[in-house]
Parts: sequence; structure tokens; C-alpha cells
Amino acid sequence: MPEHTLKRFDEELERLSATISEMGGLAENQLAQSLVALRTRDTEAAEKVIGDDARVDALDEAVQEQTIKLLALRQPMAIDLRVILSSIKIAAALERIADYAKNNAKRSIVLSQTTPPPAAVSGIDRLGRLVRVALKDVLDAFAHGDVDKARDVWQRDEEIDQVYTGLFRELLTYMMEDPRTITACSHLMFMAKNIERAGDHVTNIAELVSFRTAGHGFEEARPKGSAALYAAGSAP
Amino acid sequence: MTMTSTEGSNHGPSVAVPVATHASLDISKLKDKISIRNLEFFYGDSRALKSISLSLYANKATAFIGPSGCGKSTLLRVLNRMYDLYPGQRATGDVIFDGDNLLRPDQDINLLRARIGMVFQKPTPFPMTIYENVAFGVRLYENLPRAELDGRVEQALRRAALWDEVKDKLATNGQSLSGGQQQRLCIARTVAVKPEVILFDEPCSALDPISTAKIEELIDELKQDYTIVIVTHNMQQAARVSDFTAFMYLGELIEFGATATLFTTPKDKRTQAYITGRFG
Amino acid sequence: MTNTTIATASSPLYSGRRRRNAIAKTLAWIATAFGLGWLILILGVLLYQGIGGLSLSVFTEMTPPPGAAGGLLNAIVGSLIITVLAVLIGTPIGILAGTYLAEYGRHDKLSSVVRFINDILLSAPSIVIGLFVYEIMVAPMGHFSGWAGAVALAVIVIPVVVRTTEDMLTLVPDTLREAAASIGLPRALMIMRIAYRAARAGIVTGILLAVARISGETAPLLFTALNNQFFSVNMSQPMPSLPVVIFQFALSPYEEWQKLAWTGALLITITVLALSVIARSLTASRKSS
Repeated sequence: MPEHTLKRFDEELERLSATISEMGGLAENQLAQSLVALRTRDTEAAEKVIGDDARVDALDEAVQEQTIKLLALRQPMAIDLRVILSSIKIAAALERIADYAKNNAKRSIVLSQTTPPPAAVSGIDRLGRLVRVALKDVLDAFAHGDVDKARDVWQRDEEIDQVYTGLFRELLTYMMEDPRTITACSHLMFMAKNIERAGDHVTNIAELVSFRTAGHGFEEARPKGSAALYAAGSAP
Repeated sequence: MTMTSTEGSNHGPSVAVPVATHASLDISKLKDKISIRNLEFFYGDSRALKSISLSLYANKATAFIGPSGCGKSTLLRVLNRMYDLYPGQRATGDVIFDGDNLLRPDQDINLLRARIGMVFQKPTPFPMTIYENVAFGVRLYENLPRAELDGRVEQALRRAALWDEVKDKLATNGQSLSGGQQQRLCIARTVAVKPEVILFDEPCSALDPISTAKIEELIDELKQDYTIVIVTHNMQQAARVSDFTAFMYLGELIEFGATATLFTTPKDKRTQAYITGRFG
Repeated sequence: MTNTTIATASSPLYSGRRRRNAIAKTLAWIATAFGLGWLILILGVLLYQGIGGLSLSVFTEMTPPPGAAGGLLNAIVGSLIITVLAVLIGTPIGILAGTYLAEYGRHDKLSSVVRFINDILLSAPSIVIGLFVYEIMVAPMGHFSGWAGAVALAVIVIPVVVRTTEDMLTLVPDTLREAAASIGLPRALMIMRIAYRAARAGIVTGILLAVARISGETAPLLFTALNNQFFSVNMSQPMPSLPVVIFQFALSPYEEWQKLAWTGALLITITVLALSVIARSLTASRKSS
């Protein structure tokens, strides 16, 4: 795409994308650090994640400010309009992802007082790393406007859902086997749910990357986890 | 771009470029008011329009946009044969208006123009009173008693949202009005003749934003009764008032589609470059 | 990079320009004063010499024989008749020809030929026109006549009216013609109802200027209407007119005649001046509206 006749417009759009990228890197790091805090029972790391959430929120506000200005002053059309609109939504998704990381960090502080089943913790870690890689990939796709890569991330949501379903069942089993783990396991259950939700936001970002670049989302029906999850009388 | 031949097909829309539809606009339910097919236009030997094919739908507003010299005004002026006033200009192809090829040589041009009205870039009130400006066109084709003519004049001025501003000074010269009022007077004059199609040739380019907004509101209302075609340099204006937009470049129709689609997800790179301000 | 202003009053380029401007301005003033000076001088002498003879008898009595007192009645009436007739003959032809040039034949080859010939006619010496009408009318008829005078002046009126009509119609914007066409108005109606109306003041101005032009013409009348000592409204006979009477009286040795010539000259000048002022104000009001 050639440059705008008005070069300031290009600069402003680039600044917006740079803000999103920075926010994405930060959210990814928050997610990674929340996993480290859980795995290593490091309350200090968890506190840092909780504290750093404000930085993500600040960037989200910066994105909103920039988009409103662009909409009012540049009257964007076509791809510019899509870039700007998708930026608000991507920022919102990243902000949610960072919130989930923060919530998980809080829970990991609680968990550090207890002894959760180690297998369950590593299950969460595995799920979290899947989502983290997906987030990293979707941010790459965003940076390069790579619709194919975004589609790939979007399709991987199915795998994340399956891992989540498996983990959910596993946690139910632990709780039934040993009621003393119920407190720890219910925290882990919420953490798993948080990560799964973060994964959904990653999928949304993938769709937004396609929308901003190509003007449409992905046509096929989105892959969904099996209905068995709900049949098992399960969580939201 | 695919150029699909529409020769001999009387059903459905006839367009040469893929028509991007929009959720609220199902073109299969729309009626062609004017179908342009393989239209070419020449100023002397130079070709200004190259094989244009598109449909202008009844009771919809269609905007022609494109950089200067792209042929959008030329295309508009074919629709009421305005080019006939000048020697050396000619058009080939078909422009079917309600089943009748308006390019045919024995076309009664004055009757045609009474059915396809036009509003110009600069306000062009006639050098006569406000009342006469509106009544003038009516008298050309109808012999109305005074009271009825008064009614028609009032109706047209109301339609052009000008009545309240001029009702007490109908006998003053039309050229004494402000630019925006003059333009609305011209719309009233056009409407008074009861055309079926109204062509707008950059109707707001000489007007301030408030007058522009009034004219745009008017165009939106006029759609209920007329088929509207508007040429504009102002893309936001095209976006605001039109249902369909045709993007032209160097005498060619590059893209035609629902305005909401064309301004959000244009198909052609040139359209995208033009509407986002990345041209040249 | 700093941006320093290069335009300063002290730069040699700029002060040189100012000096040249002052010189040009002075020269222009002098030229204007020179031109206007003569005009004022002429008007002054005319007033000085002519105002004394201005009395009621000028408008009620005939031109006198040498040595007797009299007026200019027959000359004034003759001038009026010839001028009005000339305008009546010349104006319709001029307007129609101008309309052809501006509206119908704007792009025709014939138009450029007509325009060229019209321009020549416009600047043709009036004595040539007088001779021409003498040849085609006076000689075949065997005597001078008012008709011949009117025709000669009409020939002078035509190119002026053609020119102004064409110019004024060309000034009517094409958008107005297109607007008229856009409501289905045929061309002839457009010209009559819209273009003429828009150009009306200008066309009338042209006619007034033509009248001003012919009311002082002497040479063509000498060859056509000649003169008449007596009151006559018979167009087939020689007719008196102010310019010819002035010409004849001014060259005579008789003091009364010379005095009447000055008075006649003053009358013509006032008339021409009045016509010009009216023409000016018409164009001015057209511009302001």
C-alpha cells in the first residue's frame, strides 16, 4: 500500500500500531510471568504481575485516545478505518488477557500457601504456554499483516479448548479423590478458565487481524470444543 | 477486473464490475431506472469514457467519484444528453432509460431533459423573480390556471426546503438570494417540472458547510420520489448521501457497489488508494 | 535550518523597483491629465461659445437665410427622424446577427468570417459608408433623400450592435444555458427568455452607444440626406440634420450662422454625453446586481 498524501496520517497510524505492539508484548509477558509465578510459587513475581497490569491499562487508554483523535481528525475510510477500529478492539482484547494474567497471579499467591496437586499445576502451565505461543504468533501476524498466520492461530483454538476440557475433567477427578484439595483445585479451575478465556481473546485478535487486512473475518464456522464438556455438568 | 457481457440479458442487474452488495441492500430486488451498457464517449477524437456499464437503481442515490478528469462529470452529462449542446462530442453504446435508449438519434431531447433534471455546480437561477424561476419550467409543458400554478410553485419550494425563507419575497429576483438558497431554488425549479431522475453535478462545491448539509438532507429526502445521481469531489459527501458508489479513473469504471461496502472494504487497490487519500 | 526573511526594504533590488514604480506612476498621471485636458478644453469652449445662442427660438424656428435670425428646428427634427429610423433599421439586424454569432454559429467557420468583416465595418471611415449609400441609393434615385441618410447611419449602427450583442451574450455563462436546457427548454426559447434577459442591459447599452456614435456623423449624411433649408418630414426628399447644418454654418462667413453652429454643436455634445452616461449607469447597475 502506497503512502498517504498526507504524511502525518501515516505517522499517526504507525504510532497506533506501535502502541498496540507494545501493549501486546506487555500482555504476553504478563501471561508468561503469571505462569512462572504459579510454577515456582514465587509470590514476588506474582506481585509484580499484579502491579504491572496498570501499565497495560495505561496503554489501552493511549490506544483509545489515539483512535478517537484519528476518527475525528482524519475521517478514515476503507483500510484506514478498519485498522483504526480493529485497533480499539485488539487493545481491549489485550487488556482482558492481561486482566486474566493478573487474576491468575492473585490466585497463585493464594495457592502458594497450599499444596495443589503438582500434575494439575503442570497441566495449567501447559495450557498457559499454548495460549502464550498463540498470543505471540497472533502478535506477529498483527505486525506483518499476515492473514495466513492469523488463520493458523485461529484454528489452534480448537486444541486449546480440548486441553482445557481435559484439564477440567482432571481437576474434577482430583477433587473427588481427595476433598482436601478442593480449595486449591477450585482456584486452579478458575485459572484454567481464565487461560481458556484468554485463548478466546487471542482468537478474536486473529479475526481482527484478518478483518483489518482483508476486510473480513474467517468464513468457516469457528472450531468449537466438544459438547461433552457441558454434558459433564460443567463450568461456564 | 472481470468484464461480464450483459448483452441480451433483460433480467437482473447489468453491471460490468462485480457489485459488492450490502446487508441492507439486496440489488436483486432493485429496479434499474437507467442501464448504461458499453458506453463510450468522445470529445472529438479523444475517448473520455471507456466501455462503461452500470445500473442506476430506481429511488436510490448513486454517486460517481474519482479524481479530476476521470470522466465522472462526462458520464453524468451523457444521461441528459447535455453534451448535445456542444459540437464534436458524441457517445456510443446504450443508455436504457425505462426501456428506451436515450442515445438514439431521434430522441426528443427536450422531453428527455424534462424527465431527467439536473442541478449544477454553481447555482444557476434564471434572471427573473423567485416565483418565475420555479414557474418557468412548469409553464413549458403544462397550461395551468394561476391558482394551480401557485400551488405547484409552493409545493416545489417546500420540497426544496426553501418555502419558509422566500414565501414573503417571491417577487424578488432569484439572483438576490444567498448561494445556498440559490442552489435550493435550482432544485425547486428542477423538481417543479416533475422529473423522474435528478442529476447533481457537484451541487455543494460552491457552498458553505451548513448549506451543504441542507442540500444533502434534501437529496436524502428526494430519494423517495426520484432516482438520484450525484457527481462529487467530496468522498465524505458521497458516503453520506449515496446508496451506491461508482469509482472512476481515467475514463474507466473501476468499481461499483453499495456505498457502505465500497467505503469500508473496496475490492480494487485503486479504489482503496483513492478513498484513503493515497493517490498520486 | 533557520528561515531568514529576504524581503527587506533596504535591498537594492527592491528599492530599484520602487523607483521604477514611482516613475511609471508619474508618467501615467501626466498622460491622463493630457488626455483629459483636451476634453475639458473642448467642453469649455463649446459651452462658452454655444451657451449664449441657446434660447427658445433655437427649438422653434427654422434655419435662417444668411444674415437673418433663426433656429435649428428643422435640423433637430431631421436629425431625430434619421437617427430613429437608422436605429430601427440597424438594431434588429445587429441583434439578430450578434445572436447568430454568440448562440448558433459560435463554432462555425462562417462566424469567424462574419466577425472579421464586422470588425472592418466597425472601423470603416464613415465617409466611405456615405459614398457607398450614395452609389446604391442616391445615384439610382437621382436625388438625395432622408431614406438614404437613415440607411447610411443604419450601416454604421449595425456593426456596433452586432459587436455588443455578441459580447454581451458571450458573457452570459454557459451554465445558465445548460440550466435552461436541463429543464427541457428549446434553444430558441432559451435565447429569447433567458439569454436576452441576462444580457439585456448590455445590449441596450450597445444600442445607446450606437446612437451616440451616429448622432454626430456628418460625412455620410453629406452624401445622402444632404440638407434642407426648410422643415421637411418627407423621407424621399433631402433632409436637414444637425451635423450637416453645423458643418455648413460653421464654414460660412456669417456670424449668425456661426453662432447657431456652436449652439448645435453644444446640443449634440450634450445629447451624446447624456447617452453615454445612461449607457454607463446601465452597465454599472447590471454589474452590481
